[in-house]
Amino acid sequence: MVTVQRAIEMQGIPTVLITVEPEETAQARPPRALCPRGFIAGHSLGRPNDEALQKWIAMDALSLLREPPRPGEVIRRDYT
Amino acid sequence: MEKPLELSRYCVPFTPFAKQLEESLVCLVTTASVRAKTDTPFNVEGDNTFRRIDASLTAADLTYDDAHYDHACVDRDLNCVFPIDRLASLAREGRIAGTTPEHFSMGFSQALRELRETTVPQLARAVSAVRPDAVLLTGG
Repeated sequence: MVTVQRAIEMQGIPTVLITVEPEETAQARPPRALCPRGFIAGHSLGRPNDEALQKWIAMDALSLLREPPRPGEVIRRDYT
Repeated sequence: MEKPLELSRYCVPFTPFAKQLEESLVCLVTTASVRAKTDTPFNVEGDNTFRRIDASLTAADLTYDDAHYDHACVDRDLNCVFPIDRLASLAREGRIAGTTPEHFSMGFSQALRELRETTVPQLARAVSAVRPDAVLLTGG
C-alpha cells in the first residue's frame, strides 16, 4: 500500500493513507498516514453505515495534508 | 514519460499540499479489491491488475473480491474500506471541491516484483492522468 502511495507522491501528487496496520505502514515510511486506533482490516473507516464517523475519519485524513509535515510517521488518533 | 527513480526506504517522497481542501479534487485509491459489479472480478489468489471505478457510482454499485480481510463490515457497507459515498457527500457539503472522474482499486498480490516494476508505476500514471489535487488511500 505504501509502495503505491510513494509512487503517486513521486508523480507530484500529495497523498494521505488511512491504515489499520500502523507498525507495518511505518516501516515502509509513508508520506502521510493516519491510523484510527483500534480498527482492524476491513474496517478502516469504522462501523458500517456510520456516515458521520466515516466522514470524520476521511476528513481527518485529508486534513493531514494541511498540517505540518511529518513524513515517514503514522499519526494515531482515537475515534470513540 | 521517464520512469521516476525509486527512492531508498529511508527517503520519504513528499509533495507539499498548497491548496485548500475546499478547492481540491480528491481521488480514492484502495488495495481492498473493490470494483464495479459490472467489471471483471479480481482473482482472490493473486491479481496484479487494477480497476478504474467511475466516481459517479455509489457503494451499492460496487463489490469486492477478497479472501484476506474481515468482511463483516464491507458486506453491509463498502464505505468501510472505500468511502466513495462519503467523499461524494463531503463534495456536496463543499468541504472538498469534488472528486476525480475515476477512482482506482488494486487486488491482492504477492508477486511483489511485478507489482513494483509494472502495476504500481502504471497505476501511479493512471492516477496522475485524472489530475487529482490530493489522493486518499485505503487498505483493506
